[in-house]
Amino acid sequence: MSDAAAPDPFGVGLPLDTEVSRPRPGTVLLEVDGEIDTATAPRLQAGLDDAMDAAHAEGSHVVVDLTGVTFLASSGLAVLIGGARRVTALGGRLRLVAASRSVTRPLQVTGADALFDTFDDVASALSAEASRPSDAEAGRSRAADARGAGASGSRPSHAAAPPPGVAPPIGGVGR
Amino acid sequence: MSDAESLDGMSTVEVRTSATAALIPTIRAVASDLAARADFDLDAISDLRMAVDEACATLVDAADPTSVLQCRFLVRPERIRVHAEVESAKPDTVLSTDTFGWRVLQTLADDVEVLHQAAAEGRRATVGIRLDKSAGDVPR
Repeated sequence: MSDAAAPDPFGVGLPLDTEVSRPRPGTVLLEVDGEIDTATAPRLQAGLDDAMDAAHAEGSHVVVDLTGVTFLASSGLAVLIGGARRVTALGGRLRLVAASRSVTRPLQVTGADALFDTFDDVASALSAEASRPSDAEAGRSRAADARGAGASGSRPSHAAAPPPGVAPPIGGVGR
Repeated sequence: MSDAESLDGMSTVEVRTSATAALIPTIRAVASDLAARADFDLDAISDLRMAVDEACATLVDAADPTSVLQCRFLVRPERIRVHAEVESAKPDTVLSTDTFGWRVLQTLADDVEVLHQAAAEGRRATVGIRLDKSAGDVPR
């Protein structure tokens, strides 16, 4: 699983790499590789902040590619949920590319998957944007729901409580 | 940990590390390996790995900087029990269970329990977490 040995496993934990790119106009892609836990979540936060700041300035969408993520802890989920809230507040939906069980299972078991549009691969995430002009509107109505569910209390509200039977996100179907 | 269950002839694995977040990947890798070899289904392996990570991360936060993080896995047919423990940073350290991480831990494990042990002669106060995880989504 981890074929690349950490240079200093006793000091810094496992590596987590983030890289921002623009695969097409109007889209900021954040590629994340590694294991996301309490030690590395701050690096995810920094990468996500950079990507979202850039996207906000450009009026672009953000796609977070988690294909290379081999572990996702609650600390990482909290960062992603924070990102989803920020995008939701602007009337959109944060798009995740999540293929492996290491990522899909934590999203699913906590119910956090209801907060994102999730895709199997980057190509689907990118093309979904182009082919869905009504997306912003759909996102806006869902945003109202998410605000209602998440805005109570100052504690990080658990995402595990979306009502059962929440319709799968439009984009989640992929193809 | 004085735990008579460890003497019942079942497979027991204990990992001891410095109580630092940088070493939790090692512990969760052990959890993953044991679950795979105990025939846990893939979701249950993922859940146990994540649960052990959450438990250890919670304990590291509450640990004395010089503490050991002791993690003991009791592997049973269809079930793994995990005891994780650190020496508390303060004698009255209490684990906070109103966090997102704790709720995730409760979701992942079949059963979770916090164990506080007061200081006694020759030993400092400890705080621990016990969790149980079964091999698959069988009715319990």
